[in-house]
Amino acid sequence: MFPAPIEKASSAKQFAYKASLPIALFIWLLPLLAIFLTSIRPAADINTGNVFGIPSSFQMIENYTEVFRQSPAGQYLLNSLIITIPTMIIAVSLACLTGYALAIYNFRWAMPIFFLFIAGNFVPFQILMLPVIDMSNRLDVYNTVPGLVLFHAAFQTGFCTLFMRNFIKALPQELIESARIEGVGEFRIFWYLVMPLVRPAIAALAVLIFTFIWNDFFWATVMLQDASQLPITVGVKSLNGQFVNQWHLVSAASLLAAVPPVLMFFAMQRHFIAGLTLGATKG
Amino acid sequence: MTIENTMVSHRNETQMGMVAFAGAALAVCLICLFYLVDIESTASILGIEQLVDARVPNFFIRLVLLIGALVSAFILIINTAFYKRNRIVLAPWIFLSVGLTFFIVYVIIPIFTSISYSFTRWNGLRRADGSSTAEWIGLENYRMLMEDPNFYTSLWNNLLWLVLFMLAIPIGLGIALFLNQTVTGIRIYKSLFFFPFVISQVVVGLIFGWFYEPTFGMVGEIWGFFFCTEETNIVGNVRTVCSVDPPHILGEAKYATYGIIVAGLWPQIAYCMILYLTGLNNVSPDQIEAGRLDGAKGWKMLRHVILPQLWPATFLAVVVTVIGALRSFDMIATMTSGGPFGSTNVLAYYMYDQAIGEGVGRYGYGSAIATVLFAIMLVYISYFLWQMYKDEREGR
Repeated sequence: MFPAPIEKASSAKQFAYKASLPIALFIWLLPLLAIFLTSIRPAADINTGNVFGIPSSFQMIENYTEVFRQSPAGQYLLNSLIITIPTMIIAVSLACLTGYALAIYNFRWAMPIFFLFIAGNFVPFQILMLPVIDMSNRLDVYNTVPGLVLFHAAFQTGFCTLFMRNFIKALPQELIESARIEGVGEFRIFWYLVMPLVRPAIAALAVLIFTFIWNDFFWATVMLQDASQLPITVGVKSLNGQFVNQWHLVSAASLLAAVPPVLMFFAMQRHFIAGLTLGATKG
Repeated sequence: MTIENTMVSHRNETQMGMVAFAGAALAVCLICLFYLVDIESTASILGIEQLVDARVPNFFIRLVLLIGALVSAFILIINTAFYKRNRIVLAPWIFLSVGLTFFIVYVIIPIFTSISYSFTRWNGLRRADGSSTAEWIGLENYRMLMEDPNFYTSLWNNLLWLVLFMLAIPIGLGIALFLNQTVTGIRIYKSLFFFPFVISQVVVGLIFGWFYEPTFGMVGEIWGFFFCTEETNIVGNVRTVCSVDPPHILGEAKYATYGIIVAGLWPQIAYCMILYLTGLNNVSPDQIEAGRLDGAKGWKMLRHVILPQLWPATFLAVVVTVIGALRSFDMIATMTSGGPFGSTNVLAYYMYDQAIGEGVGRYGYGSAIATVLFAIMLVYISYFLWQMYKDEREGR
């Protein structure tokens, strides 16, 4: 293990290390702590200049209910879910199919198509923006949630395919070969043999895509116009304009926007990290 | 007739039934899709008065029909003798068909469409018959870019982002090395350090925007501690007097971009850290031991033993950092909207602003900016793909 385990160092060093951990963490998360404290302090504190000290009274419940009362935050959160969940399902299921095709069959086009998916995944959003708007318009789905979901799902299919293909490629290929010799059909192999084995990959992709789409701001701004359809990321930004100088409410709303991905992360941490590191772990 | 034969013929019969059913379903789906279902009919069937409201149900009906058509087409295909003879060749294409079509339609083709837009003057409108009102102007948009000072500002800022964002990699490595221990509770520390990455960039932008506030943000607070005193005048009003005025980080052209980059680094460092933490987990203990026996310690060990083994993590960190830097949009939109005076524009934001932002919809000009951004990205994409290609070949 590198660096050398701290247990081997002198006890003074060990103590210093253990003491430095919370201090470092405090500094690292200072912005977040500050915003959390702000979200539970009364408005009066901010006006009197008590922005970073201990709140004069704790108004957690009051502030958060105020956000829901004064703004459509509940609607925004719901919209985010309506956009995120279908995207997650479509992208991951399509990627199971494409990833399987690219990993199992050694056909000439496997590599070029795989690289097409990877390359498309890195492309800047702006070069897709106008044609996607135009296309959605012509399909009559511009400014609708399905239109946004369709694009998100198509785009995320690239990343999911990359991940799925690598995952399936790492499975023992003899398994599939022997099933084929037994005369099992291609679709049965896929459904009964490979699908149960890729469950961890599905979990990893599901949490990642959830987080990516939940946190998306650009495409929601571009593809949705009606306030009633906006997801929480765009909503929070417009709340920022609405609650001018009501920082306790803005910060409460911001934290609300952050809660679902954070919960997702803590619940599925192992899968989440496995997804983000994409096999850099196998190294 | 033996039992086996009965089974075979029975199976054939069910398959024949299935094929007939699939054929009928395919025909029905296609006819409905192309001839019967449009907005007007959906609206009249569902009793919706406003055509606009019928868009979403209409879309879903069409989607269901499309999926039905696809599934029945596949059932037909896999029952042909041709498929049965060539299934190893044909099966991958069936698996790929939907995902690949989807991806090509929404991601690959738009790249080229965008490039073609960049040679036109267009405001995004179409005539009633669906034809575009774009007017071909050749390289005019690019000539205009060359003379646009905002374009150069954006380009310069993109460069700043690219260079400064790279700091995330060494800092992330540093934190990973700091946290790569096995004391009690370290797992919680690791997750909490990773925290910023999970939060939306909009939220990070808001947090930092408030942090930078000169009057009541953190910056103002710290500044006040060093440079300001509170004075009470005769009437009793408290007034803050500063020897040097606190910097308005996001309000001044010379600091604003740096302010946003620092905010952007926060989650990016967390990402690089997690990449390195998993990388460090997989460093072979034997090699470290061998290095120790050879007398390698600290920095030397890191450079000659550890870093080479961390190459996959480093590669991935570079990839995501470059992409993150060139995709910087959310933070700029939340923190400054490109201001003050366009000084924090990057190509991504400037393109949005020109094409559908405050302006009047300069699709052609916006596409030209996007094309430049894409060209920059293409350099990196080619490099990444080349590296991956080499890895793949070595892997075989």
